[in-house]
Amino acid sequence: MNQTRYVGRSLPRLDAAAKVTGEALFPGDLSMPDMAHMKVLFAHRPHARILRIDTSQAEALPGVLAVLTAKDVPVNSYGIAEFDQPVLCGEVVRFVGDRVALVVAETPEIARQACDLIEVEYEDLPVITGPEEALAPDAPLLHPEKGSNVLATFHVRKGDIEEGFAQADVIVEETYTMGMQEHAYLQPDAGLAWVDEDGYLVVKTGGQWAHDDRRQIAHSLDLPEDRIRVIYTYVGGAFGGREDVTVQVILALAAWKLRRPVKIVWSREETTIGHHKRHPMRIRHRWGATREGRIVAQETEILADAGAYASTSSYVVASTVLLSTGPYEVPNLWLDARAVYTNNIPCGAFRGFGVPQAMFAAEAHMARLADALGMDPVELRMRNGLEENSLTGTMAEIPPGLSVRETLEAAARRMGWELVDGEWRRPQIRREVRPGVVRGIGIASGWKNVGYTLGYPEQATVTVELHGEAEVERGVVRLATSEVGQGTHTTIAQMAAEALKLPLERIEIVYTDTAQTHSAGSVSASRMAFMAGNALLGAAREAYKAWDDEDRPAVATYTYRTPPTEPLDPETGHGKGAFAFAYLAQAVEVEVDTETGKVEVKRIVAAHDVGKAINPEIVEGQIEGGAIQALGWATLENFVMQDGEVLTPDLSTYLIPTVLDIPPDFETLILENPLPLGPWGATGVGEMGFLSIAPAIIDAVHDATGVWFNAIPLTPEKVLDRLKGEH
Amino acid sequence: MASKIVSFVLNGREVEVMVRPLTTVQTLLREQLGYTATKVGCRQGGCGSCTVLVNGEPMMSCLLPVEDVEGQQVTTLEGLTPAEGLHPIQEAFYDKFALQCGYCTPGMILVSKALLDWNPRPTREQIVEALAGNYCRCTGYVPIIEAVEEAARRLNTAPHSKKRR
Repeated sequence: MNQTRYVGRSLPRLDAAAKVTGEALFPGDLSMPDMAHMKVLFAHRPHARILRIDTSQAEALPGVLAVLTAKDVPVNSYGIAEFDQPVLCGEVVRFVGDRVALVVAETPEIARQACDLIEVEYEDLPVITGPEEALAPDAPLLHPEKGSNVLATFHVRKGDIEEGFAQADVIVEETYTMGMQEHAYLQPDAGLAWVDEDGYLVVKTGGQWAHDDRRQIAHSLDLPEDRIRVIYTYVGGAFGGREDVTVQVILALAAWKLRRPVKIVWSREETTIGHHKRHPMRIRHRWGATREGRIVAQETEILADAGAYASTSSYVVASTVLLSTGPYEVPNLWLDARAVYTNNIPCGAFRGFGVPQAMFAAEAHMARLADALGMDPVELRMRNGLEENSLTGTMAEIPPGLSVRETLEAAARRMGWELVDGEWRRPQIRREVRPGVVRGIGIASGWKNVGYTLGYPEQATVTVELHGEAEVERGVVRLATSEVGQGTHTTIAQMAAEALKLPLERIEIVYTDTAQTHSAGSVSASRMAFMAGNALLGAAREAYKAWDDEDRPAVATYTYRTPPTEPLDPETGHGKGAFAFAYLAQAVEVEVDTETGKVEVKRIVAAHDVGKAINPEIVEGQIEGGAIQALGWATLENFVMQDGEVLTPDLSTYLIPTVLDIPPDFETLILENPLPLGPWGATGVGEMGFLSIAPAIIDAVHDATGVWFNAIPLTPEKVLDRLKGEH
Repeated sequence: MASKIVSFVLNGREVEVMVRPLTTVQTLLREQLGYTATKVGCRQGGCGSCTVLVNGEPMMSCLLPVEDVEGQQVTTLEGLTPAEGLHPIQEAFYDKFALQCGYCTPGMILVSKALLDWNPRPTREQIVEALAGNYCRCTGYVPIIEAVEEAARRLNTAPHSKKRR
């Protein structure tokens, strides 16, 4: 590959100066003269019929400008995958965060007081508290028009499962459970909307896909999309949690009705109930292997709690299915998966998009299988890793760029594994750290698709302008991407400078404003650098062609499309679900306090094949940040819903990692085997750091204590209960 | 209850404000005075996004009534930023990629300032202890610890360079 000037360098982040000075504006920092303030009346009950809404007292309160209810919404539905969620509920509420009314007032205080004056009479309905209840034969239907509480079903059949188990010398069966996880992005949802002098409805906020926000606003308000302009400020974290809209539609509605700027800032509690979560899942694995450690059969059942509305559940659970084997060759597979409606908060996108759940179960199960075989877990993985000519569980060919063994070897060696007489061997370490504290090490592999899957159109459009006369003097790039912290603006600027062959300072980039850009898709699925890079290369090529044809400025709009994927066959589950994968392995060292049950991660080694690190420091930041979120998911974070109510609505009850919880020793090993499809060889990285920490911790805790755990989070109480039970 | 006049020193300048009782410093700064570097994360003293310094000590401004800072010195991130360039702690965060979304950054920098004023050569453990009340959901804290270590080095080897993009 040719020498690059910008790609591959850790240039400072373009947003760093604004962020270290506090000049960077976030949605809650916005204001306009004459703006009004909005407050949402949430249902605060999990399932009920609305019998009566009386807004008269609220409307009579001085300073109240409007009280909006279901009757005020032109098309009363929204949603990212299905328009199934009422903007404002008029008949039934299905979870605590359903919205019933909006109050717009001169001050936030008046809006809050007026909310308290709205009278809503409810008739409570039976609450479906979990997926098992939802599947009971006499369960009430949450969406009667669907005929069942099952939102999505998948079946995968590969080979002959009976035949497979007949060949097995060892069969291991376990059921793994994972809790609900809250994104806990630090910036509560907020925004400002107004109608500008030209009659455009402008919504300024933070999200992950401005053009899709616009699509949903247009639907609910029954307006043409080109009448609406969505602009993003800097966004205070997202992690998938802002993939669905939160305040966008209601802000647009209020500003359109009132013809006045309207601002909303949600509290932490409102933010918590107002957006979706990571799916709790139960995954039963029954795997068979020969004595030599060849996996011959995998039987799997997946049950996911989708919550009250569709969100992206059908895609999330499809991703769990697609990656459920781990990066291994499984000749015989039988898999059933379901996502089920309940009266819990809807579940949807969260870093990894269903794949962390798949990796937790598959990789914890690999550790169990290795244990049952009396084989080292790295050795077992090496024997079963995907080969270039393997077929995935869904009978798809492996796209080029396979590095399951390279990443595993890198992480394993760094953590002390050695190849002894041709077999991998776990390092012998001293178990006891001090009386009552034992130590262990563990490892897990991982893989995940890059970009959208299963036939969802995967494309990104970018516009490039080359300005100048005899020579190209400057470039303008229009590319809609949301800076949620991942470094996308900097990464894209580096790729733009490289593609346009111009100094970085001579490129102006117009980021997320739907009036000035085409859609490049969401910042999610570890896709944006990959998609934007390819789109930039195409647009630069076309723009230089126009330049050579004497166009001044030379302008090109280019849409990059990936090789197509396809949905899984409903009967067999066969299909090319993804066009590219990324591979990784993560190893951890833990200490377990056998008197308190506390699990502390002391060291992480994360080996990731990123194809090409466009900006190595930014890549490392994604891996570190993802891994620590996964550490939280595995050991600390316990989002509790009981009878449809949230028991952990704030940051003092829902605990995320603090600086005290991180390992003193964190090492990222970046491998760069160029991905043929990737821009400069780059694959996706945003989600990958999250994927395999949890199962590595399970392996390490077993190494330390001799006890296997099948459920996360490994909170001290749960660990202690098991340790006391076993010893 | 009647509004009250409170005077204090904000970023080195005397200010006199009229506030309703129990108005927090956070609300005053953001909504009355337009200082938006001080963030709102939870309004419970649980996340550290709203940290300000009161007489050099980090305090969570969401729980701090304005009456309580009568006559005191209050510093926000705006007050730390020099007229030109960056403060060495800001430089260290900039250079070490010690931020992603940037929402926790004002609080992190102010807590670091308080630590380094009190203890110019902190150990890693002391840095961790100082940052323990401030959440960051993006970075995993690794580069933030490095930035504080780097800032200590730079402050201890003045004169420092100044730069700003």
